[in-house]
Amino acid sequence: MSKIGNIPVNAQNGKKRTNPLAGVFDELVQFCQSRSMFMLHYCTGCGAIELPPAMTSRFDMERLGIQPMVTPRQADILLITGYVSVKTLKRVILTYEQMQSPKYVIGICSCTVNGGMYWQSYATAKVLNEYLPVDVYIAGCMPRPEAVIEGLRRLMGNIENGKGIAWKDYFQRYDHYLGNQQHLFGNDWQTPTDIIGEARHYGLETEQTCGEHSRILEQHQQPLEPYKMRIKL
Amino acid sequence: MRPENYQVVSLPNSDEYELFIGPNHPGIEGNYAFKLKLDGDRVISGKADAGYLHRGFEKLMEGRLWIQNLAIVPRICVPDPVPMEVVYSLTVEDIEKTEVPLRAQWIRVMQLELSRIASHLFTFGGHAATTGMYTPSYWGVADRDLALDLFEELTGGRVYHIYNIPGGVRRDIPNGFLDRLSDYLDYLQTRQNDYDNLLFTNQVFVKRARDIGVLNQEQALEWGVTGPNLRATGLAFDVRRDDPYLIYEQLDFDIPVQSAGDCLSRILVRRDELFQSVRILRQIIKHLPSVKGPVRSPIPNPLAWNVAKGESYCRVESSKGELAYYTVSDGGDKPYRVHVRGASSMHAVQVLENMSVGQRIEDVAQIMFSLDACPPEVDR
Repeated sequence: MSKIGNIPVNAQNGKKRTNPLAGVFDELVQFCQSRSMFMLHYCTGCGAIELPPAMTSRFDMERLGIQPMVTPRQADILLITGYVSVKTLKRVILTYEQMQSPKYVIGICSCTVNGGMYWQSYATAKVLNEYLPVDVYIAGCMPRPEAVIEGLRRLMGNIENGKGIAWKDYFQRYDHYLGNQQHLFGNDWQTPTDIIGEARHYGLETEQTCGEHSRILEQHQQPLEPYKMRIKL
Repeated sequence: MRPENYQVVSLPNSDEYELFIGPNHPGIEGNYAFKLKLDGDRVISGKADAGYLHRGFEKLMEGRLWIQNLAIVPRICVPDPVPMEVVYSLTVEDIEKTEVPLRAQWIRVMQLELSRIASHLFTFGGHAATTGMYTPSYWGVADRDLALDLFEELTGGRVYHIYNIPGGVRRDIPNGFLDRLSDYLDYLQTRQNDYDNLLFTNQVFVKRARDIGVLNQEQALEWGVTGPNLRATGLAFDVRRDDPYLIYEQLDFDIPVQSAGDCLSRILVRRDELFQSVRILRQIIKHLPSVKGPVRSPIPNPLAWNVAKGESYCRVESSKGELAYYTVSDGGDKPYRVHVRGASSMHAVQVLENMSVGQRIEDVAQIMFSLDACPPEVDR
């Protein structure tokens, strides 16, 4: 939050930060941030089977200050545990966009790196990095709990050193990510979150935030209606 | 989502409303979704929404060599992967008419039972957590981890082993392995009393689980229910005894049965099964040293292996229920067709949809965990 708090709300007017105390508490905030992280409780694939041992008594992730959290809005880390099928990836992107910044993505298992052993499957998305900015990858099929914890420690180190900024990339290069998402889901793909508006709000808009893909989004964008289930029960 | 995107939802003039459970929900087992129609807190109807874990296994297997498929079959059911390897190997051996050495059959049964113990321990914790008891999930996962250590010593992998191959198992058991297995079984039996006090006879749990999600025997047979869920309705059907494979005929074990068919009887069947598996493993520890011989019959060069033309249907009893593979070979180096009959697809879709009707909303998660459905096995 530290960086965001220092950016004036009307950053698009070209004003620079005016607060002389900006950045003084950054290191302290980063230190605290890296030691109290909530991990979203979402098992996307088979790597989730190694999370209960990592979370419970034997390997005990909680001693690092990491706890599972059930709602995306209160979570800091999104763990992608294994392959993501196209149907899951839509939910993953919706979940990621609902999370509050700063937010971190960890790709566990080989399947998130390059498709893994499902490289020829028709149903899975191969490279997670194309759709979401990933902070840390943990390779292996499947990584042991020690490896999961080591990956989380790397993330903690990155946050402490101010390197855990992959989430800004999603705002800064939204057009790139949106283009890959449209390539997979079709041109009428739309999420309820207004990423471009948020990027302007946080002052993170660059020339790559809007582009040809976001123009396609604007053409197809329907006004959001209250969501009603249209399932015949 | 920005606050201005929220809108007031106009509800129809009715008390009915709809609710999603999953895929991102702690009360759901894995990546799976369930859509409920509710009146107050009573469930009017439910609709299972599978497909989040679909990878197209049956199609993938048609594009890979016979030996390459061994690497992907355990991924079909993550908590209980050994039966997948064994039943795939059984079908290939059946087509090829390969004799499996006796020692390899004993080692396979040892793995199958150890995997059953690990899977059931995992289930206890999940089921208890849905009723608000979190200690059994810590105990279950910790005790399961000791079984995974044994698997790691035996096969090199904690979760996925790829230890069984057509013709036998990859290598013989390490020195002193049976002693360590015996120690683990001793430890499990000392824990029996603790588990009973904490979970199985604990009134906090028993009152929540009794008379919830009742399934009678006729419905169970009609809907294709197998495994512990069927035995909880009073029918003692077990593939290990009624259609024996490997060396189960030589082993002495009981089929635990409960008659009520509710959530409590399902978890009690699993509890009894766990200790029957301990009993089977004790017999294996006793007999295995006297069974001498190779652990693998020779197979041709696996990278250029044309399995004979034919088809085979083999089934085993996994911890989830009856698991079967139907494998067809057209004489090529890849399978022509492999069909997986997983037990969970019946339990998680039709049984869960029908059984949740009339239940209260807080019991839906418990019913789902008591059926012990495995979402990757549903979607494949």
